[in-house]
Amino acid sequence: MSSEINTGFLKDKRLDTIAADILRPVGITQGFLVWMAFLSISLAGCIYAYYIQCDKGLIVTGLRDYVSWGMYIANFVFFVATSLVGMLISSVLGMIGFKWVKPIARIAEIIAVAFAAIAGLVIVSDMGRPERLPYVFMYGRIQSPILWDVTVVTTYLVLSTLLYFIPLIPDLAISKGRIGHTPKWLQSTYETLSVKWDHTPKQYQILLKLVRILLILIIPTAFAIHTVTSWLFAVTTRPGWDSTIFGPYFLTGAFVAGSAAVVIMMYFVRTNYKLEKYLTDYHFDMMGKLIVLVSIVYLYFNINEFLIPAYKLKTAEAIHLQELFVGEHAFLFWTVQLSGLILPIILLLFKFFRKPFPIFIIGTVMLIASWFKRLLIVVPTQENPFLPRQFVPDAWMVYQPTIVETAITMGTILMAVMIITVLVKFFPVIPIWEVAEEECHTNNDQPKV
Amino acid sequence: MKKRYLSLLLIFVITLRLSAQQEWIVPAENLSKLSTFAFSDSTRKAGMNLYITNCKSCHGDPGKNNVIKLVPPPVDPASDRMQANTDGGMYFKISQGRMPMPTFKNILSPTDVWVVISYLRSFNPKYAQEVAPKVLTGAMVQNVKIHLNWLKEKDQVQAVVSGTKDKIEQPVAGAEVKLFAKRYFGNLLIDEARNTDAQGQVLFNFPKDLPGDSTGYVQLLARLSDEEAYGESKSETTLQIGVPTYKPPLNEQRAMWNVVQKTPIWLLLSYTFTVLAVWAFIFYVLFQIRAISKSGLSKDQDTID
Amino acid sequence: MSNNTDPINENEAQGNENTRRAFFKKFGLIGAVAATGGAAIYSGYRYEESKPDRDLVKVLTADNRLVEVPRDQVKDVKVDLTRLQKLGREGLKGHRWVMVIDLAKCRNARQCVAACQNAHHLRPYEYHINTLVMQESKSTAPYYMPKTCQHCDNPPCVAVCPVDATFKRQDGIVLIDNERCIGCRFCIAACPYSARMFHWEEPLMAEEDKGKVYNIELNVPQRKGTISKCLFSSDRLREGKLPYCVSACPNGVYYFGDENQDAVTNGTTKETHRLSELLRVNGGYHLMPELGTKPRVYYLPPKNRLFEFVDPREQNKNQEKV
Repeated sequence: MSSEINTGFLKDKRLDTIAADILRPVGITQGFLVWMAFLSISLAGCIYAYYIQCDKGLIVTGLRDYVSWGMYIANFVFFVATSLVGMLISSVLGMIGFKWVKPIARIAEIIAVAFAAIAGLVIVSDMGRPERLPYVFMYGRIQSPILWDVTVVTTYLVLSTLLYFIPLIPDLAISKGRIGHTPKWLQSTYETLSVKWDHTPKQYQILLKLVRILLILIIPTAFAIHTVTSWLFAVTTRPGWDSTIFGPYFLTGAFVAGSAAVVIMMYFVRTNYKLEKYLTDYHFDMMGKLIVLVSIVYLYFNINEFLIPAYKLKTAEAIHLQELFVGEHAFLFWTVQLSGLILPIILLLFKFFRKPFPIFIIGTVMLIASWFKRLLIVVPTQENPFLPRQFVPDAWMVYQPTIVETAITMGTILMAVMIITVLVKFFPVIPIWEVAEEECHTNNDQPKV
Repeated sequence: MKKRYLSLLLIFVITLRLSAQQEWIVPAENLSKLSTFAFSDSTRKAGMNLYITNCKSCHGDPGKNNVIKLVPPPVDPASDRMQANTDGGMYFKISQGRMPMPTFKNILSPTDVWVVISYLRSFNPKYAQEVAPKVLTGAMVQNVKIHLNWLKEKDQVQAVVSGTKDKIEQPVAGAEVKLFAKRYFGNLLIDEARNTDAQGQVLFNFPKDLPGDSTGYVQLLARLSDEEAYGESKSETTLQIGVPTYKPPLNEQRAMWNVVQKTPIWLLLSYTFTVLAVWAFIFYVLFQIRAISKSGLSKDQDTID
Repeated sequence: MSNNTDPINENEAQGNENTRRAFFKKFGLIGAVAATGGAAIYSGYRYEESKPDRDLVKVLTADNRLVEVPRDQVKDVKVDLTRLQKLGREGLKGHRWVMVIDLAKCRNARQCVAACQNAHHLRPYEYHINTLVMQESKSTAPYYMPKTCQHCDNPPCVAVCPVDATFKRQDGIVLIDNERCIGCRFCIAACPYSARMFHWEEPLMAEEDKGKVYNIELNVPQRKGTISKCLFSSDRLREGKLPYCVSACPNGVYYFGDENQDAVTNGTTKETHRLSELLRVNGGYHLMPELGTKPRVYYLPPKNRLFEFVDPREQNKNQEKV
């Protein structure tokens, strides 16, 4: 991001076209209401499931003393992982200077905000006594990775929200006069949130400075958030978790899941809002290449994570790997590894598969696979503790998620989708000023590189 | 046919074995042992308390037949089978035990065992106690006293036993003495049981490495083995003969596993510093949003759009 | 009281309150104990009914001394939670509890399991202690292994707790405070010995225990949505008694004692041995020492066993078939 901004684009006619295109879908529409009603009704069912869990206890889940972490924790890791993409796209790629990330940076940031916000709720769904959540702040032990996780998730959520909101300010100012077709309250929200933005050079200067601070700050925070999440497992001595590469293993996995989520959302925004002009085939093509890159890195860590223990076959590790490779979890394990990692790498090497629709399908498969990948990290390890499991009911030996548990997990995903829907529907989803500035800047002042 | 015959034989053998297991034979010389004191209401009451602590968990409430399931099963104290034992038989069984009944000789003193028997006999209306004749071999020793000394140069504890016989205080010779060090849950036998010499003296080798309290004091207990002859005679003394032992509390040092007040310093500092630094920037950003708002107003009121 | 000739009570004329004060002064307990209205006395006074003619009761004070108190001086104090929590978190000063489990003597009677579950109000399949069937490899002999919490000196479970709900006391016991526990189950994940359990539903005796003051050293009442675990029966230790499992064993498997005194007492025979001697002679060892947890539970190897090994799982299967 350049430190100087040429405010010339504000007087350019092209701004009006861009603003009109991007702001067209903003506001409350029939489709939006129907979709939100559908989400709300489904969510009500899921909240009822949570009520049952609070009433009866975690007995309504498939969790028992041996596998005491299951779908909820896997879901938590998935949420944290997916939210990391905000950092990758806007910060790492943006600061390196890739111009193509500009229109999709806000999409990535929306995913970051929604998933980081719900991640906190996901972890509460796993707690035996959720009403004691304040104890974490009252009696927090800073030796516990949970406390570190709470700290960094909160920090990351705040940073992501700021990183979503601050570049939105000029857009709000640009938009407030142009969204006449929306209800009054939304217009006054725009008015308030645009914090008297007047497009003065001084304001742009401050804004660019703040964004740069946030972009730098969010990189270590994002690394911390997922590394710490991996430490929830890696600080134990259990086979399958006792690994020194768990931090980078989780981090690279997060980029895979997050990039897939961005592709899915890009596709929805592009088709539903008719923004083909801004989210072009070129953007999908570049996202395809990015996915190949992050997937190869993730594959590398996968090989490290499985090959080395498999070479040594220490007693407990051997049992664990046997379960994964040829045992009870083999089918899921190989499906996830193939459909979520190996096939996408191969397919996305071909230009055809980097076109919007094919990459959308591939992204969807990858995102689902990455959810199950987390389940495979969490569950099988606990099914093979060091000491034998004896004299307990047979149902305790194998983890079988229940309907209540699945419903609660679905509920958290619905909530994330709701946040995304609201943000996408009420605010410009593509940064108007950045796109306009980029367009005018490259076309007028300088010869195209 | 052959098979059937075999299995019959097998059953016979098993039954035999089982009945052998059920029957608990007391050596003849132990059967006639008798209590040296008469059972009374106070012994029965004390016996009930001992019964509740030591016996009830297996033998249940007498007369209610609520014994727990063990092989062989415990016997209800009020039952005829229990009461068919002689006093000496009961004494032997309680003291010695057998699988799965524990040995009580280390838990209950001989007097305690008789006290328990007095309680057990209270469920037998036909029982009439026979008290052991008072006169015992070489006895008539009363007011037995045991005095303990520390012989530093020899690492030995000396016990001097004296008692009143024929109204004259004199040493008790040839009596078996046991020396114990008191520990939290029981008494640790020091050296082995030894007999007093003609002067009523006996020496025990004391281990050099036995931990005492922080100043090296050890509580000692000496007891004559033959309680029936000498009455309940024991003596407690505290001597500074152990290794002074002070081990700090196990949760003293700073550690990852200790409470939050005992966090390792490096962790406390790095956590606090990192969190403060990041949030300082966040608050700076938040305040700068206000600066954006202000710098808009102070300049031109006309906005460009 | 009037016919009591105990010298302690000679200043009775000054009124009851004064008597009590004088008495406490005499025993150097005026501080904390008197201030809390004798709240310390709750911790277990035992009537010595065997001496009914002397009207004294033995009382265990907060600093763990046994003193004799005239019966009418003992006031039943309402057990209060803060006091219990404080005592429970402090632990017993000057002790380091250890357990020795002699595998040669275990024949899977499971009396320890039953006594423990009975004391802590647990279901038959909820364990603080469990006896496992172990076999190192196909060519080695199977044996039974009672498994409790190892009360590690480097406890991985305590390290990960986010709220100080589980903690290690000065006497080495790792306790759980179910008034604090948030139910995240990180400790279950961290424990390599699978020693912890979780209350997935309402505990067994939730109804009966309703309204009881929570005793952190007994972990009763148990609470839904919180962790429970072996406590080395710290409530019994305070009274000078051996743990529930230790005293319940019919086979002399367990020894329990104080490392500081280098002594352990067998729960069945009540014989006291030197800890160092017992471990040296029998080749005592720790479970999974390579994990660096430094357990406070020692095992003696299953050699020269007294009982034939019967696989309880096979037994069950055969019964099912019949």
